[in-house]
Amino acid sequence: MKKKFIALLLVLTMAVGLMACGGSGSGEATTSANTEAGETKTGTGEETKAAAEGDNTLTVWCWDPAFNIAAMEEAAAIYKRDNPDFEINIVETPWEDVQTKLTTAASSGDLSTLPDIMLMQDNAFQKNVISYPDAFIDLADSGIDFSNFGEAKVAYSVIDGKNYGVPFDNGTVIGAYRTDLLEEAGLTVDDFTDITWSEYIENGKKVLEATGKPLLTAVAGESDMICEMLQSAGASMFNEDGSANLVDNTTLAEVMEIYVEMVESGILVEVNDWNEYTESITKGNVAGTINGCWILATIQTAEDQSGNWGITNMPRLEKAENATNYSNNGGSSWAITTNCENPELAMDFLASTFAGSVELYENILPTTGALATFLPAGESEVYAEPQEFFGGEAIFAKIVEFAGNVPSNITGVYYYEARDAVATAITNAVNGSDIAAEIQTAEDTLNFNMGN
Amino acid sequence: MKKKRMTLSKRENLTGWAFLTPAAILILIMSFIPIIQAFILSFKTGIGVNMEFAGIKNYVRMFQDGVFMQAMKNTFFYLIIQVPIMLILALILATMLNNRNLKLKGFFRTCIFLPCATSLVSYAIVFKSLFASDGLINLILVNTGILDTAYNFLGNATSARIVIIIALIWRWTGYNMIFYLSGMQNIEYSVYEAAKIDGANAFKQFTSITVPLLKPTILLTGIMSVNGTLQLFDESVNLTNGGPANATITMSHYIYNVSFKYVPNFGYAAAMSFLILVLVATLAFIQMKVGDKRD
Repeated sequence: MKKKFIALLLVLTMAVGLMACGGSGSGEATTSANTEAGETKTGTGEETKAAAEGDNTLTVWCWDPAFNIAAMEEAAAIYKRDNPDFEINIVETPWEDVQTKLTTAASSGDLSTLPDIMLMQDNAFQKNVISYPDAFIDLADSGIDFSNFGEAKVAYSVIDGKNYGVPFDNGTVIGAYRTDLLEEAGLTVDDFTDITWSEYIENGKKVLEATGKPLLTAVAGESDMICEMLQSAGASMFNEDGSANLVDNTTLAEVMEIYVEMVESGILVEVNDWNEYTESITKGNVAGTINGCWILATIQTAEDQSGNWGITNMPRLEKAENATNYSNNGGSSWAITTNCENPELAMDFLASTFAGSVELYENILPTTGALATFLPAGESEVYAEPQEFFGGEAIFAKIVEFAGNVPSNITGVYYYEARDAVATAITNAVNGSDIAAEIQTAEDTLNFNMGN
Repeated sequence: MKKKRMTLSKRENLTGWAFLTPAAILILIMSFIPIIQAFILSFKTGIGVNMEFAGIKNYVRMFQDGVFMQAMKNTFFYLIIQVPIMLILALILATMLNNRNLKLKGFFRTCIFLPCATSLVSYAIVFKSLFASDGLINLILVNTGILDTAYNFLGNATSARIVIIIALIWRWTGYNMIFYLSGMQNIEYSVYEAAKIDGANAFKQFTSITVPLLKPTILLTGIMSVNGTLQLFDESVNLTNGGPANATITMSHYIYNVSFKYVPNFGYAAAMSFLILVLVATLAFIQMKVGDKRD
């Protein structure tokens, strides 16, 4: 009897334990979102349910609590002032997961797991909208005036003449330099403004000699730098009709030659992954960097370097036509999915905040460093404030001005395939392969990937 | 009398089937039907959800795919080098730890088995930082004077592959060792004693007693290792991200890229997955034929 009793007790304990776990796991997203008035909830990717009928809740997927999520929360707070029963439910989801979940949902035909609004990398817009045309809403009736954004930025989310994204963060390329190290080589930030790549390499050699530090680090196996340089001359890896543009692309050949020369002279040091790249900046092992302006957040984490950084534009190509000192790397935009049950609310929300509120951009700038592509925001006073970290200059206003000069280019649907093919080519070129042969291989690989 | 016997055995049979049916149905729905669906998918092609029937085009296309061919070469490189080294090492370790007179046997066995309990992603990331240009390995090599400057292990094709092989051996040797250890429990100690009396040294004992008697276990671990190595994914993604210019990318990693990173072509990805299935099945078949011959 005793044994049976103990056995029964254990089974009951187990059953209760299972029920408790199961009960608390499900249903937490909607219940807490509805009961917590005036608060935003940030789960970690467990459950998302689109707004129920009559509900004024929007579910958002985005990443980076210090940046995108903070911006979205601020936008919700601003919108709530005029719409008190509005709620937002932000689910922190890394970009790779957003892409994977979108692919899974759309390819299985079951879009019900998607949120109302999602943040999407600009480079992936073409691919995703063309692959899954039923997943996104056309923003034509949203009342958003897209001329308030930089043309190049808007172009990323335009497919077949229709807008699918509300532009968000700025990816304008900046040249950031350690002014104290430049001084040791007898140079200033002005020596790096509006220059050509030859002049950059010359300066780089002086800096290397005087300080022993390279001017630039880049992640090996990624083609960010190459793509930035291509776009600075308005060149693309694709033609208008979508065919590959690598082999006869004289700009690409010039870009790759410059890259190889920089690695060989020690001005550009390739590192193995993103961590090493950011560490090279924060630990002071590099005299500068050229990347999208979102790199400012990383630079500013090295508090001991405050006051020793200066910002300017990037070098330009010499042989290419239409060469400029401006380019873009990354950036994302907000898209509304067809799973949204209250699209008017979503469109109104985005139109009044990210596409309409200068105040929003003023509020998020100091805390997140998130730079707008919303041109009216660039004229605000907050943007004109001097930044101590960067030598007392009003860099934000500068960067918004740069953004207006960025040439647009053709991203293409097969952007990621092209990126990888070019990355393979440049890795081999750095190790000594013939550049023209590598470009040919890259184009062959790309054509293969495009022909299905 | 006859009727009673039939009903009793019939009833027992039915009970057996009744217990089996739920699991069998679940496996059918969750595993076999999706496998058949994937097979049908591999005959289609197209972007995202816009697929159309294309016959064996995907299978033919696979062999013209430069990156996929490179991935296959890489995977077979790992297979041919890593699997034998790992299995022999596991055998030797198992033999050493089977020694009756060894103190702290449990401790050693735990130490060697512990790597298997680690997460695939975390150990790959740790290995990545170990072999980085300013990682621990380079630090040791430079400070002891073996190298003058840090060597970029993950930036060179051959060394990147060797790093992956080292990582795999570190992780899976313990797993296979446990299989051999349990197999060795079935070998009578008196056999070893008799051999010792007849003058056999440790090596002779190993080759003439241990290995032949462990044949079934060796066959099992061989098939499992081949299966696992052909489907290698985590190390390629987390350790080297495909390696310098596709030098370490594996077939599964490429399939992931085709499905999620690039413009998705699920038909093509399914076709490549089935190729892996065919490879694994063929190699397993060959191993069983060879292994079961001298029984």
